[in-house]
Amino acid sequence: MEFKDYYKILNIEPDADLKKIKTAYRKLARKYHPDVSAEKEAENKFKEVAEAYAALKDPEKRAEYDELRKYGQKGQRFEPPPGWQPSTAQGGDYSDFFESIFGAFRPPGPQTNRSSGFDFRGQDIETELPVFLEETLKDTKKPISYHLPRYDADGRRLADDKKTLNVTIPKGTTDGERIRLKGQGGQGIGEGQHGDLYLHIRLVPHPLFDIEGHNLIITVPIAPWEAILGARIEVPTLTGKIKLTLPPNSQTGKRLRIKGKGLTGKTGIGDLYAVLKIVIPEESDEKTRQAWDSLSKMAEFDPRSEWSKS
Amino acid sequence: MINPTLSVKLTLEEVCKIIDMPQEVLITIVEEGVLAPSGTAPNEWSFDGTMLSIAKRAVRLHRDFDIEWVSIPLYLGMIDELEKLRVENKMLRQRLNRFLQNS
Repeated sequence: MEFKDYYKILNIEPDADLKKIKTAYRKLARKYHPDVSAEKEAENKFKEVAEAYAALKDPEKRAEYDELRKYGQKGQRFEPPPGWQPSTAQGGDYSDFFESIFGAFRPPGPQTNRSSGFDFRGQDIETELPVFLEETLKDTKKPISYHLPRYDADGRRLADDKKTLNVTIPKGTTDGERIRLKGQGGQGIGEGQHGDLYLHIRLVPHPLFDIEGHNLIITVPIAPWEAILGARIEVPTLTGKIKLTLPPNSQTGKRLRIKGKGLTGKTGIGDLYAVLKIVIPEESDEKTRQAWDSLSKMAEFDPRSEWSKS
Repeated sequence: MINPTLSVKLTLEEVCKIIDMPQEVLITIVEEGVLAPSGTAPNEWSFDGTMLSIAKRAVRLHRDFDIEWVSIPLYLGMIDELEKLRVENKMLRQRLNRFLQNS
């Protein structure tokens, strides 16, 4: 395994005092804590920072770590020196490196006395599940795969188990929702229950539709003459197509409601809004320009009349 | 492959046991309006998976930032607001881009 330089991770000198360690941790925690950070990879970075802090804030652990730091440097492969006894038992989700120094997760109390029954609930697992908009319209079965950490009877970490489940995504599922699957997380220790699996729903952005609550929005490009004369156009919905009547003199930004073609909500079905956007042809030939020219003279329209009032 | 049933409802006691949170804290979080379980009295409350995740967040904030339990509802409320604004901002940008790009 690779040696971890906890001082470097916290961006402090090896002789930093406890106060400096704490300040460095809090600063990085504010930046990377997955509950407040929008940074990519925030969760993994925070795990590293939290682990470094757990090792360095405790004077005993720090002394042990400093001792080992003489043997290894970052980037090198690291093995604890022969005869090294991991010390205190841990209760967190730390790296192999951390566990090789300070011990793996195991129940508190005598390690050998399994019969007295130390029971620990298994780890909860959270995984992101991308869901397409179409899949939220009705209950949808979806296979998911995830990795389950495994531990032996002494709490040593073994290779992860890959698990596949066929889950039902209930209709009306929204972005950011979490679905709990009881007992599908990590195995417990002793008589401890299995942990749970949490599916964190992420709606996949759609190439055409935007979401506003339970309503959908589609931006509809229209030609200037369609805007002026009105038109009957075909608009895609999430499940098919629909004919839409544009009234004459429709402005850019006008919203037309198409009832019942939105997302399925927990309380009802949303609507689809067609938002108009007038686009002009990229080029026009001489004849067309002349036609526009005579139109402009005829229409006598000043879109900036508001400005000339003052 | 097995097909697990979705288990979504949890009592106050179950939530606190799973995430290791004092019951008074969860009661305060509900009373201050951060979580809205169904049911009227605390012994009738029932929480869903999303509420459980928010409660877990409370435990993380308490542990990782040394935030006092009494201040936790304030932080939860602000983070929730922040997340909503991020989502809304992303959505509005996406809609704006559809308007600005030529199609």
